[in-house]
Amino acid sequence: MKKHKIIVVGCGRLGATIATKMSEYGHDVIVIDSDPDSFRKLNDSFSGYEQIGDGTDLTVLENANIKNTKTVVLTTDSDNTNIFIAHVCFYLYDIPNIYVRLTDNDKGTLFENTTIKPIYPFKLSLNAFLEMVGEPL
Amino acid sequence: MRIVIAGGKHQADFLIKMFLADKHDITVINKDEVFSNYISTENDIPVFQSDPSKAYALSDAAIDHSDILIALSDKDTENYVICKLAKKLFNVKKCVCIVSNPKNVRIFKKMGIDSVISSTYLLGQTVKTELNVEKWFRTLSIEDEKIVMTEIVVEDNSDIVNKRLMDIVFPRNINISCVFRDPEVIIPNGHTIIKAMDKLIIISKPEEQDEIVRFIHKTS
Repeated sequence: MKKHKIIVVGCGRLGATIATKMSEYGHDVIVIDSDPDSFRKLNDSFSGYEQIGDGTDLTVLENANIKNTKTVVLTTDSDNTNIFIAHVCFYLYDIPNIYVRLTDNDKGTLFENTTIKPIYPFKLSLNAFLEMVGEPL
Repeated sequence: MRIVIAGGKHQADFLIKMFLADKHDITVINKDEVFSNYISTENDIPVFQSDPSKAYALSDAAIDHSDILIALSDKDTENYVICKLAKKLFNVKKCVCIVSNPKNVRIFKKMGIDSVISSTYLLGQTVKTELNVEKWFRTLSIEDEKIVMTEIVVEDNSDIVNKRLMDIVFPRNINISCVFRDPEVIIPNGHTIIKAMDKLIIISKPEEQDEIVRFIHKTS
């Protein structure tokens, strides 16, 4: 895999783990979160940058060099925040790879006609369940 | 008109009363239980207590094809999502929202929100206007400061006093839209004569404003 620049916004369990993994794979990773304590969730093997700030603020994104980033992962605890930043990345910065966690499936409609890729924990859990009980999907 | 008011407290309360006085159809969607109860006991309008940034809440409130939705939550991103869902799923004609971060005014508009209002932004504009009073003129910016309306008083020693508009050689692009001569309001034509202490309302581009002000104040 080629070395990429990746920005992860929201250093919760998912964000921190994705950041750590991507860093282990050798990519340049910047994690943004407004809570400095959140970075404790990053594993020791994480060798990227931690940036304290509000990801919905364009200044913060620009400081993270968003203009030269190919991949953005949005894993804050708020769907609305994730959607807003995803739209900013897609419409204003033309970022090709945008991954967004969404807890509310209905809101995925806002990504129609874009290349933004939503991840739905609800769907994943449901599918996992159906698979376990052996029902056809 | 059918107006939807999503979120907000004092602003929502104020707007509801104002729009009801003008006989509009109002629908309220608000997360807050106490506020929702208050609004539904005070007014005879549909109130839905739920999160307006959820598609099902907007669907329950039957906002399809409303004329305007106003998003007043204190979270900018929430307002953004409310407006986007209202447009995309419910064909609401116009969406207006408030933002607490003034930088978001420009960004939200770029991403398709019809009208974005920031109190800080307006405050800045007001202060600018107040500062200009000293200079004997006032300004109102329209369309993101692409157009300015200048209100300027003609002093009695100005060159243009007692001249017909058609005889005055104006700089390019000057358009006197209105002359206010207390208590009269005059929509001027070429034969209108400018008097001392007339208040002129001039529409121009912002970069031409200084030249216009200089011209009106010119004395020989």
